[in-house]
Amino acid sequence: MSQPLLQVEDITAGFGATTVLHGVSFTVPAGGIAGVFGLNGAGKSVTMKTLAGILPARSGRILLNGDDITKLSPEKRVARGMGHVPQGRQVFPQLTVEENLRLGAYTLRRRDKGRYAASLDSVYDRFPVLRQRRSQMAGTMSGGQQASLSVGRALINEPSLILIDEPSAGLSPVAQLELNEVLETVAETGVTMVLVEQNVAFGLSLVDTAHLMQTGVVVHSAPVAELDESTLATHLGIGKVLQAATGRALADRQSVPPQRSSSRAGRAS
Amino acid sequence: MGQVVVLGLISGGIYALFALGVVMVHRGTGVLTFANGEVGTAGLFLAALLVDGWEIPLPFMDNPTLPALPWPVGALAAVLFAAGLGCLFELLVVRRMGVSDPVAVAVATVGLALFLLAGEFQLFGESPKELAAPVDGTVEIAGVLVTPTQIAGLVLAIALGFGLQAVLRRTDFGLGILAAAQDPSAVRLVGVPLSRISLTVWGAGAALAAIASLLVEPTVGVFGPGYASELYVVGLAAAVVGGLNSLPGAVVGGVTLGIAESAATRYLSGIGLSGLRYVVVLVVLLAVLIGRQTIPDLLKRLDEQTGRPAEARA
Amino acid sequence: MSRPKVPGVLVALVLAAVLPWSLGAAVLSDKNALLCSAACATAIAAISLNMLMGYAGQISLGQFAFVGVGAFTTGVVTSVDQLRLPWVVGLAAAAVVGAAIAFLVGLPALRLRGLYLAVVTVSVAYVGWQSVFRVEWIGGGSAGKVTPRPYIGDSPISSDTGFLTIAAVLLVLVWQVDVNLTRSRLGRAFQAIRADDQVAASFGIDVVRYKLLAFTISGAIAGIAGSIIGTAFGTVTAGTFDYARSLLLVVIVVIGGLGSRWGVVTAAIFATLLPDLLVALFGAGIRGLDLVINAALLMYTLAQHPGGFAGAVEEAREKRKRRKGGEPPLPPTRPNLPALTRPVGMPPVPKLRARTAVLKATDVSVRFGGLQAVDSASLHVDRGTIVGLMGPNGAGKTTMFNAITGALTPDTGRIELLGVDVSHLPTHRRTALGMSRTFQLIGLAKNQSVYENLLIAQHLAAPYGVLSALTMVGPSRFYERDVRTRADEVLAGLGFGRYRDAQVGRLSHGQQRIVEIGCALVTSPELVMLDEPSAGMSPAAAEDLAATLRDVRDRLGRTVLLIEHNVPLVLDVADELYVMDAGKVIADGEPVEVVGRPEVVTAYLGVAPQKQEVNA
Repeated sequence: MSQPLLQVEDITAGFGATTVLHGVSFTVPAGGIAGVFGLNGAGKSVTMKTLAGILPARSGRILLNGDDITKLSPEKRVARGMGHVPQGRQVFPQLTVEENLRLGAYTLRRRDKGRYAASLDSVYDRFPVLRQRRSQMAGTMSGGQQASLSVGRALINEPSLILIDEPSAGLSPVAQLELNEVLETVAETGVTMVLVEQNVAFGLSLVDTAHLMQTGVVVHSAPVAELDESTLATHLGIGKVLQAATGRALADRQSVPPQRSSSRAGRAS
Repeated sequence: MGQVVVLGLISGGIYALFALGVVMVHRGTGVLTFANGEVGTAGLFLAALLVDGWEIPLPFMDNPTLPALPWPVGALAAVLFAAGLGCLFELLVVRRMGVSDPVAVAVATVGLALFLLAGEFQLFGESPKELAAPVDGTVEIAGVLVTPTQIAGLVLAIALGFGLQAVLRRTDFGLGILAAAQDPSAVRLVGVPLSRISLTVWGAGAALAAIASLLVEPTVGVFGPGYASELYVVGLAAAVVGGLNSLPGAVVGGVTLGIAESAATRYLSGIGLSGLRYVVVLVVLLAVLIGRQTIPDLLKRLDEQTGRPAEARA
Repeated sequence: MSRPKVPGVLVALVLAAVLPWSLGAAVLSDKNALLCSAACATAIAAISLNMLMGYAGQISLGQFAFVGVGAFTTGVVTSVDQLRLPWVVGLAAAAVVGAAIAFLVGLPALRLRGLYLAVVTVSVAYVGWQSVFRVEWIGGGSAGKVTPRPYIGDSPISSDTGFLTIAAVLLVLVWQVDVNLTRSRLGRAFQAIRADDQVAASFGIDVVRYKLLAFTISGAIAGIAGSIIGTAFGTVTAGTFDYARSLLLVVIVVIGGLGSRWGVVTAAIFATLLPDLLVALFGAGIRGLDLVINAALLMYTLAQHPGGFAGAVEEAREKRKRRKGGEPPLPPTRPNLPALTRPVGMPPVPKLRARTAVLKATDVSVRFGGLQAVDSASLHVDRGTIVGLMGPNGAGKTTMFNAITGALTPDTGRIELLGVDVSHLPTHRRTALGMSRTFQLIGLAKNQSVYENLLIAQHLAAPYGVLSALTMVGPSRFYERDVRTRADEVLAGLGFGRYRDAQVGRLSHGQQRIVEIGCALVTSPELVMLDEPSAGMSPAAAEDLAATLRDVRDRLGRTVLLIEHNVPLVLDVADELYVMDAGKVIADGEPVEVVGRPEVVTAYLGVAPQKQEVNA
């Protein structure tokens, strides 16, 4: 891999007198699925806001495809290939499913209106439930369906990078399962993803590289396969007691990769 | 009774047009503007100047005089001028206030209103100015003589109230405006520039105020500084009554206040109180605002007493 | 701090009374004296609006309606063909009627916020101007209302210089009332409400009462301003109190600097004198341009200097101070809490034996629309313990807190505090019993100083009436001394002495947390509820926090209920731990044991989806 798709270099950021991020750095290769994990207050969602451009970085650089996007507005970043699945899904409740998707393709339609129809079709193929409910108001759908819509709304713009913020928060276990399936589907497209999760176990089941945050810095980055439970517990700052549990989640995850990568390869061909 | 309704509909249409502008701005930015009445008046002054043949005061040279232009040209200029004022205010003031408290932006619009009002006094003085109606003639409906501009006001209000939303839904950017009220941050995250939405709605709100002012002015035929502000306050209330985010709601609110006003004028004129319009506005406003908050509470309490679960109602 | 301020007022009063007479007609013509009276009245009106908008944060775009009420009330009371009562009675009546009308307008304001209140007050301004003031017996019709000048003995004060004395004295008195207000529990309650209703209530402030008080007092002062205007000009019409005047007053207050007394008074005087100043400088053609200038200034102010003139001066002063002295050293994160006694102004905390329940919440349920936020949860907190409450985001912990403090009413359940059933009491009554709390997002008045916040937190410790507050005579002096002593003690204990006057909003997050904990302890309540105190703290500061919490339990002998995500911290300090998930209490008991339970682990770290099923 010549150049990472996303490079985050020593970002600091915060609100008012408070600095929350004290120099966050990590890189994501094209096609990679990176997870940013940490407990409440570690700076995960601030990292996400800074990547999106909603919160300005006070220092440091963010490179997308090698271009410095640190000073760009959120809209411009989207036009350059950044897609979002925001926290709480944030679909537009009083617009229909198809209107939500059309708005999601805002910058695509400005670039190349002809591609929209095909892109819409491919999202509908991937999420048949959205095609079924294309004229339904998004606000009236279930949590899991809204998650599909939120993901579809990001995908339709043909992004090179998708930022996914706390996807599992506020979802019932059943809906989480549904969401996991959705995200697996997205992973198959080969798009690069950055996932922020407080639910570490959920996150570990999806990503291939984990970046562990504590008090505003990334304290440890490693491929999931190389993580062991005590590193995870130490770097998340969750103490010894929870180690066992984290370990269990990790063991589950580490038994999966061969299976998933084969399924990924299998479906791609 | 018929008279009350006809008169109510006529003034209600104007209130509705003002209210539509209020709703546009609120939908796109979450802010209420108190300035658009005076923006409308400013538009009237420009239209009157153009229709009369404007002697443009220029320093250090002979004042050139424009030929008297037809009403539609003057009106178009007024609407464009108003839209420009709205956009300029957004660019120079609202944008610089950053992510700010909506109340602070509302206070800034107070500044704009006073700025225009004082400017009009300065330039044109207090004596009333005339702007003739574009079309002569009247039609009698239910014993009321109605002018074409009055009908145009009502028709336009209804058409815009129920059509604008559909029009907005057709374009991507319009969809962005509709979505902005629901979730401004998500709008940015799908790539729609929020700043352009803001600019557009400030311009559109001001243009609507100018249209309303142009259509109501021929009813009296003269105007002065502060003229449209006195009607705009009813439009503000109408927007609030209609729920602030709904374009059809604004029309319903405007017509409600129009009919309430004409009913009050008809049946309460005996008590010798002038300015009944504003008494009606205050009473309806309070009733709707307090009622909207109190009635759900009451229903909930009722449910508790009868032991019915709250969802059963929905 | 308790240095008597009376001499300053006396000097000002004497000046106000003597200066107009002594200047002589050469300096102060009758025309200029009249103008100065108008400036005094505008300044008083600005003080009244500043009280509402600057202190209490309640927007009013129709303040001149209350000024008009004052003018016409004085007219009706003193007019020769109406009541013919002495002018002083007219002045008093203006204040009373102004207060009464403002009280009525304040009633809907209790339920309305921000923009809605703005629309309602605009309508009020129009009703006054277009309707009420045009009633013949109130506004005198098109001829206007004639208000006679006050009499001394048998002769009226007919000269404008003479009346300026009265106007100036009234301005000084109103200024002093405003000073007293800001130094009393009243002004502090307003500031707390401006920051946040819920935060104010948590300090024991009856939000409804104080919002109404803000409107009422402001209305009375506006009435006084109106009385001066009506009498100074002799004849006023409805048009004197048109909507544009209300707007101009808003402009004045914002340009002067919301919340700054001298700022708004300066701006008011400047705005009143500006028209004639411009005419004197540039000739009569320029008349009217002052409004254009003022309105443009307002927009410029809001876009560039939201703090107004006073804010800009303050900023410049601070910048100079910073350049000279540099930043003061950081306060310690490990405060040495003083042993505080219950303030004399508050009911004593009932004596409970150790290990009896301070808080018993039974089967509490809260529903938000379709979400069951708290689902029949029960908590039991024993005296002299630290109890932790943990759970993932959205588990319902803060909602449970809000149900306990009364910030929201649970759908079902019973809350017992210190043996009293408080299920149906409002927050401020619960606080009075001996409870305090902090908020997830700092619950302080951020634009006030550290010291002011410590005073706000002692609202209930200074139970004196409105009159005593506004005059600063009687019980207010005693209680103010008491709460200030206590605030100084806590300030010293926190190690925040050098940050006494620092604006809370400018402190770091961790420092704000410590101030917040100080505020929660300053009235020495039995139960202290802390919502994520370690959020945003560095690991070292969080360790210090643990020691502080133990201090609260062991040295101060108080009880702590703690929402916390920092697991090591909770395990370190808690005697008992509750874990919530999806609204339910899923575990409670000895902390280390509880954290090891599988259901807790699952709730906290989540479950990995069953891969086999997904792929199948």
